Amino acid sequence: MIWLTWRQFRGQFLATVGLLAVLVAYLLYLGVTIRDAYDSDIVGCVAARGCLIDDATASFIRDYRGPVTIPSIVLMILPALIGVFWGAPLITRELETNTHRLVWNQSVTRTYWLAIKLGFIGLVSLVLTGTLSVLLTWAASRYDLVGGNRFDQMSFASRNIAPLGYIVFAVVLGTLLGMVTRRTVPAMAVTLLIIGVVQVLAPTLVRPYLRAPVTVSVAYNAETRARGGSLDIPSSNPLSITGYSIPGALTLTDRTSLRNAGGTEVRATDVKDCLADEGVTSTDGWQQVERCIAAKNLHFDLEAQPANRYWSFQWIEFGAFVGLGLLLSGLAFWRIRHVRG
Amino acid sequence: MNHAVKAVGLGLRYGQRDALTDCTLEIPEGSVVGLVGPNSAGKSTLLSLICGLLEPSTGTISVLGARPGVSAAHLARVGFVAQNIPLYDNLTVAEHLRLGAKLNPRWDQRLADEHLQPLRGDLKRKAGQLSGGQRAQLALALVAAKRPELLVLDEPVAALDPLARRQFLRRLMELVADLQATVVLSSHLISDLERVCDQLIVLTRGRVQLAGPVEDILTTHYRLLRPSGDPDGLPDGTEIIQALHTDRQSTLTVRSTLPIPGAAPHVQRLDLEEVALAYMGRAQGADEQD
Repeated sequence: MIWLTWRQFRGQFLATVGLLAVLVAYLLYLGVTIRDAYDSDIVGCVAARGCLIDDATASFIRDYRGPVTIPSIVLMILPALIGVFWGAPLITRELETNTHRLVWNQSVTRTYWLAIKLGFIGLVSLVLTGTLSVLLTWAASRYDLVGGNRFDQMSFASRNIAPLGYIVFAVVLGTLLGMVTRRTVPAMAVTLLIIGVVQVLAPTLVRPYLRAPVTVSVAYNAETRARGGSLDIPSSNPLSITGYSIPGALTLTDRTSLRNAGGTEVRATDVKDCLADEGVTSTDGWQQVERCIAAKNLHFDLEAQPANRYWSFQWIEFGAFVGLGLLLSGLAFWRIRHVRG
Repeated sequence: MNHAVKAVGLGLRYGQRDALTDCTLEIPEGSVVGLVGPNSAGKSTLLSLICGLLEPSTGTISVLGARPGVSAAHLARVGFVAQNIPLYDNLTVAEHLRLGAKLNPRWDQRLADEHLQPLRGDLKRKAGQLSGGQRAQLALALVAAKRPELLVLDEPVAALDPLARRQFLRRLMELVADLQATVVLSSHLISDLERVCDQLIVLTRGRVQLAGPVEDILTTHYRLLRPSGDPDGLPDGTEIIQALHTDRQSTLTVRSTLPIPGAAPHVQRLDLEEVALAYMGRAQGADEQD
């Protein structure tokens, strides 16, 4: 049965491996290049006199954002691709060509037949995804260290063990949907739709609440703007910070009020000494305002999943998607016995 | 006598449509059963139920003493050649044999080779490139090497030319004799079957119209020619299967276990095809009156 599964799958497997081999070579090259650049531009900058580390970091990130993003996207869509092109046709191809009527009357039960097929394809998908994930995690590690946020959706979903959970889910989902719809194209479409929806909903609606968030107090200073936090000074409402992200953490609050040491919200009237009478128009003037406000010992509070929870979140998502995959394969094994031949 | 297949009140629904209704029949071990009926009469449904490819909606079916397809060991005892002879089109003939050898613990390579003789030169060809006759040959080799106790074939000769039909059926009968297996094979043409079968089942619109040993069928059916409007003179228990009336005379196809007095041309024996057609005609007539 393993031989038959391999024989049926061989063509697709070799084609896929051929494509992925290109990606593997690229990742190896990228990993070495990023390491070289890191050693010379970042480590070298720290050692060298007169080198501005902020500029070096910014240029390093700018140089490698694209080269790291492309393989990250490939890893993010890999579960959908494998679910659609390997999972969905696994059973439908047999049903559509009637070969299930040949193979289901050999001396093997449907359960065994499905176990070998699903197990084989699942294992191959796992190994491929695992290889790519390890390579990307390695290749991008310096980039992630310098400027990346491991909790970014693209980074989180393409590194370490989370992709392995997604792939198990995707393969089983495609197979089960094929069994239910009995036709390849609808099975592919529904698989793609569900995986797409899950990949949108998981990071937005589920991941932020996997554990109770903590409240983090951040001092307002010159760093705030570098971390994406932009200051807003409305005339009547309290001053607010929008878009700040805590380094390495999953920041849940987008907009929050600026507070003084006592925790009271700060209003424009409280900082009017910083605001020029004629209003702020020029960039220089605005920087002056920010510097002035930064000197007032203000802070803001954010809800977040802190950086040290990264691995617990990786394990939770891995476990949850593997669990979902097992649940769906339980359904598939129950269902296969009643599929009309 | 043991039964290879025993069905009681067997039925199968596809949504709103009944593919098979209230089918009760027994197939004795060692018999060669022909299953005939028009297209979409439910032949494939019945055969799929026997092989365990379908589960009954109503009734029960037991094959070689167990529920069809219940275990790998049971699957090994039943061989099936499905309609249109499905094969893996991108696998070669040799790879199909390898598949058979790997998936069947009771695989008999000698028997496979024997039945594959005509395809010896085509081992490396893909199944998708084979002719209808060659596909049938390969399917027969695959199913033969399983050494099944029950062999089920769904319209195996439908795609073959008359010469290939005859050759296929001859090889099938050699195999059956070799294995001492029970065989059920279907066709919509009774002429394919009458030479090889000792049992006949006529199926129309999902219902069994007639089932029994060919010999009994031939000795209990008659065609009677008599003046119009004269139903008298038939023995008790005579069943009129079909009656055609003209102004001057009636042609009756009847079943009677007792001999019917009279001689040709007024009382005629029927051949198997005529009997089967009479039952199919009756079922169709009944449906049209509904």
